[in-house]
Amino acid sequence: MENFPILAIMTLFVCAFIVSLVGRRNAVVRNVVVTIAVTVPLVMMLCLIPTVFIDGETIVYWLGNWAPEADWAIGICLEVDGLSLFFGLVVTVAVFVSGLYSFTYMNHDDSLVNYYTLFLMLSGSVLGLVLSGDLFNIFVMIEIMTFTAVALTAFRNTYEGALEGAFKYLAVGSLGSTCVLLGVAMLYSQLHTLNLAQVAALLSSQGTNPVTIAAFAFLFIGFGSKAFLFPFQPLAADAHAVAPASISLMISGVLTKCGVYGIIRLVYVLYQNYDQPIVQYLVTGFGAISMFVCVTMAFNQHNFKRLLAFHSISQVGYVITAVGLGSILGVGAGLYHAMNHTIFKGLLFLTAGAVQHQTGSLDLDRLGGLGKRMPKTCLLFLIGAASISGLPPFNGFASKWMIYQAAFLHGVTTGNFYFIFICVVALITSVLTLASFIKVAQSVFFGQLPEEYKDVEEVPLTMRLPMWVLAILCILTGLFPDFIQEKLLTPAVNAVFNVVGYIDTAMGTGYAAASGVTAAGIEGIAVTGTWSPTSWLMLLFCITCAVAIVFLLASPDDKQKGFPVSSADETAQPLDAKYEPFFSGEEAVYSQVGGSDLFWGFKHSWRRYFHFMHDWHSGIVNDYALYGAVAIAFVLLFCIVLL
Amino acid sequence: MTPESNKPKMHRKDVIVRCAADVFLPLACMFGCYVVFHGSSSPGGGFQGGVLIASAILLVFLGHGGSQVKDSFSSRLLHSSETIAEIMYVVIALLGVFTGLNFCFNFVFAGFEMETSILMNDAVGYHVMAGITCLLILMLGVLDPEEEGGDTPSDGKEDVSK
Repeated sequence: MENFPILAIMTLFVCAFIVSLVGRRNAVVRNVVVTIAVTVPLVMMLCLIPTVFIDGETIVYWLGNWAPEADWAIGICLEVDGLSLFFGLVVTVAVFVSGLYSFTYMNHDDSLVNYYTLFLMLSGSVLGLVLSGDLFNIFVMIEIMTFTAVALTAFRNTYEGALEGAFKYLAVGSLGSTCVLLGVAMLYSQLHTLNLAQVAALLSSQGTNPVTIAAFAFLFIGFGSKAFLFPFQPLAADAHAVAPASISLMISGVLTKCGVYGIIRLVYVLYQNYDQPIVQYLVTGFGAISMFVCVTMAFNQHNFKRLLAFHSISQVGYVITAVGLGSILGVGAGLYHAMNHTIFKGLLFLTAGAVQHQTGSLDLDRLGGLGKRMPKTCLLFLIGAASISGLPPFNGFASKWMIYQAAFLHGVTTGNFYFIFICVVALITSVLTLASFIKVAQSVFFGQLPEEYKDVEEVPLTMRLPMWVLAILCILTGLFPDFIQEKLLTPAVNAVFNVVGYIDTAMGTGYAAASGVTAAGIEGIAVTGTWSPTSWLMLLFCITCAVAIVFLLASPDDKQKGFPVSSADETAQPLDAKYEPFFSGEEAVYSQVGGSDLFWGFKHSWRRYFHFMHDWHSGIVNDYALYGAVAIAFVLLFCIVLL
Repeated sequence: MTPESNKPKMHRKDVIVRCAADVFLPLACMFGCYVVFHGSSSPGGGFQGGVLIASAILLVFLGHGGSQVKDSFSSRLLHSSETIAEIMYVVIALLGVFTGLNFCFNFVFAGFEMETSILMNDAVGYHVMAGITCLLILMLGVLDPEEEGGDTPSDGKEDVSK
């Protein structure tokens, strides 16, 4: 049992090597090895639930039995507390689904051995990151993660922009990794240890100095870049648009979670400065800007997966905002939304992959009416879209509701208007999310079916099955929030606030008290903020009826406005083209029912903002690196001056 | 030693270069092995030693030209070797778990001056040797396009996996 963390990580790495050894000749053997590799870690993580979640223990595993001697943790350790296991579960479930989906989805590609080797190494590194108890190991895992993700982004290098997207990710991603390394080096120079538990204890006993604060800034921006927070979000869009859908699931569902995990560890365990208002402003500020900017950018995309990519960062912004509040409810809401985000965003990326697999296109302006040809995929997409938009009774609503509540409550208890403002931003973002998913549904699944997609068929069951797994998880986690809170969130949130336990398990009992770490942990935290799914469903039903009545009462002329009459006809284009500059610089060749035309009024009144954002996302890697550098400089100055 | 070249462009290298390459080839391999095996108790180790052994391919290239490199080294075999070395490393580390101790535990020569890490060093040396040789074959292919034929771009995806 205590070997499970290391075995789970090593299964993925060993199988990655075995795949590259034996998989070259035989596809069946390869698939068997991959299936084993994605299943075993999931089972092992599930087996850890009784020990870690129910008994509330923390598993510490010293590699090579190098336990701390004379209170110095020289060896490398894995430390699995509730938080690590929570993210470990999220990671292994996503890896499992992505692995199964790949078998059919990738069957058009060649050199699949390289794909699976890289995929398993990526999974192993991410699992290693969340289970690690050593700061330098975290950096090493981040490096493996970044480089394998870059290689996988460029895997379909015949796509236009694949190499470009991968290069941007490589260049600016390395900037983030370097920040983490700098932060680790600064901490090591001050504290002479790399063990997370000991770093936390020593930072508490020695207090902070300018160097450790600079390290905080570097680590924050490093982990933030791995979560693609605000100035780094163009990378995610470029990478997602060209990566295979199973890898998009990994990048959005798993890699960004590593950034979230890093920020939680950094703020709550290492520095324990979550109750300082300056840190709260910093973290929630970055989260709120990310969620708002990305959702507005998503609004204007013409590529299915680019749109999903921006939404992905927007949702991670929610998570970071909630986490930055520093309250128990905030952390609970953040973790809940992080989990839900992996599930529904994974589902959406997989449906996008299904559309791409069957039609070969991701262009929202060319697709349409696929609901008739792919009804099951359409249903799965609608479940995912309803979840991400926060419609009851799906999981997105449950966690978003908790986030609003946490932000508002924090604003009320501290009497700070800033957090109430954040709450309003979160609400507006949710509305915009719903709006842009209406646009996607209209563009892809409803409306008129173009001539070239007349013979499109439903995806095979082997691809639908992984999607159904995620869809069922969407519904279950939305319908039983109390159960999720009691069984998953409460142990994880307890672990976040139980720094004393984290330090003492690694360094020996009493070490935390000797270093002056006070027990902030409240025993048996009840994460409140639940909602009643049925009553909200009723409310939603009433509102839908009201909207439908208004729509039916409207005059027929109003309904026709803005819709091109003949879709296949090129002459229909000028109708749409007049709004095109407001969405993006790309030229729409063909737009059937004006899916991107639905909200033209909104776009028109915000045109200055959209023009600005459009120019800002220049697509030039130098610019993106510059934004990253500006962000580093800002956070560094902000922390050193104010902390 | 040198094959009968069927390409008119290719001519045998100078005898001094060939002899020097032949003399230094075993020395380079030997020194590399020394660094690998001695790595656990002295400066050096698997990575440095592996690179030294891999430099042998450069000597072959300098002394005998690109076609000889192509004849003597199989990048497929090297690629598999690399994988085997990776698996070896993990298995040695995992042996600790299977003997009831922790991952990476130093158990093989417990009580001696030597350590398990010497075995790990060997695995790393093997891995680096195979990996760097693969990379060098790719690079030499670029240097010598007329001798390697159209071999260079096709392996572009291979080196991504490293």
